[in-house]
Amino acid sequence: MNERVAITGVGIVSPCGLKKETFWANLKRGESFIDEIKRFDASLYPSRIAGQVHELDHYTHLSGRLIKKIDVFSHMGLVASEQALKDAKVDLENIDKKRVGVFMGNAIGGWLFAETELRDMYIEGREGISPYMASAWFPAAPQGQITIYYGFKGYSKTIVADKASSALSIWYAAKIIAQGKNDLILAGGMEAPVTPYALLSANTCGNLSKNNLNYKKAYKPYDLYRDGFVLGEGSGVVTLEKESCANKRGVPIYGFIKGIGFSSDGYDSVRYRPNSDELEYAIESCLTDAGWEKDSIDYICLDGEGTVIGDYLETQALKNVFKEKISEISLSAPKSMFGNLLGAQTAVDLIATVLSMKNSIVLPTINYQMNDPYCDLDYTPNKAISREINKALIIARGRGGINVVLAVEKK
Amino acid sequence: MDVKGQIVEVISSTLDVGKDELKDGQNLYDSIGVDSTEMVEVVVVLNKHFGIKIETNEVTKFTIIEEIVDIVNKKKQG
Repeated sequence: MNERVAITGVGIVSPCGLKKETFWANLKRGESFIDEIKRFDASLYPSRIAGQVHELDHYTHLSGRLIKKIDVFSHMGLVASEQALKDAKVDLENIDKKRVGVFMGNAIGGWLFAETELRDMYIEGREGISPYMASAWFPAAPQGQITIYYGFKGYSKTIVADKASSALSIWYAAKIIAQGKNDLILAGGMEAPVTPYALLSANTCGNLSKNNLNYKKAYKPYDLYRDGFVLGEGSGVVTLEKESCANKRGVPIYGFIKGIGFSSDGYDSVRYRPNSDELEYAIESCLTDAGWEKDSIDYICLDGEGTVIGDYLETQALKNVFKEKISEISLSAPKSMFGNLLGAQTAVDLIATVLSMKNSIVLPTINYQMNDPYCDLDYTPNKAISREINKALIIARGRGGINVVLAVEKK
Repeated sequence: MDVKGQIVEVISSTLDVGKDELKDGQNLYDSIGVDSTEMVEVVVVLNKHFGIKIETNEVTKFTIIEEIVDIVNKKKQG
């Protein structure tokens, strides 16, 4: 990329806060925001815990007329987008809307709306289904709703790539900004998997923690007794623009998107290839793309899937790429506090990372108690630490091995 | 309540808009910025409410309130 792509605004809807201030204050404390699922009867699900957003209606700026037309994942995306635009002080009256785009990542679509309406269709017949169903459920719905809400007409896209969806949407957006096709892009993702059917599907893949009784401590990446990750719901959105545009507008810059590495395992639809070659390739190519030396990295925001194999492979990849230098890099998986938000996860990781840069704090990996001899790195266990962070990587892995690594820098 | 009053009531409760926003002589697109999917819902609810069968292309977002009243009255007479 020729000119750097700047992050100028952030918007967050997460289990640990619906404003960046609350989100950050809660993460810093290193507490768990995982809870039992109570909004429907989940008692027979193998994993029935999640990081949930309870106060969306309290924080919303949308009319009831619009809310009833959209699924909750679009609602979360619209709230996060509004925050990001305000945070970046975007002048919606005077911006050229033909050059503003929306790039979102989503893995599963809007099931709360779909489940309810399909049930009504089978019970009441054709007349029972809401006409909004057709435009509410599919993964690109939030992108559409955001563009309609603000009248943005620039090049836009939705990317579906499991837990790496928003990593790719952010990268794609950064490329479009760097190429000068758009002036401003809302980039990120949203996910609402805490619905009866979506939770069932997520359970089927078998990577969720079943530690329902001790739910606050269930998601424990890299710990010897880890048994999978915990689902989360929410949305993360950032505004991206050229560094020169941000400077011209006189707005503060959180950081810059510097590069990406990508690879696929090409192995199985769910499982990772049982070696770390492809993830290593993704990390290496991200470093090359960013033009960074291995010893210049301060922090890596980890994928931390919390499965026996996932955490082992990630640890192996880091050791193989960075060798002995890995001990000088801070590592952590803040998502252990609020769950993995699937298609929205990397956007949330990016926001957590730029806030870590701003505050010179490395967020912890919580619930880490027992050392695993095969996962023997320093994952910043349980307590945040102080550290200047200038260069950071964010790792995202989708099921079956979609490996994406983002490079982010502060200065 | 007369037919027009009932129609205004149906539209306002279906779309969650104020009754005073539905102005005489104006179509629903001009008055409340209705979209085509919302119109499908309005027609479905009108059909249920009056026990009639309006097709979705008979009442569109460019139909003014008074025309909707005429259409409903005609359908009611059979």
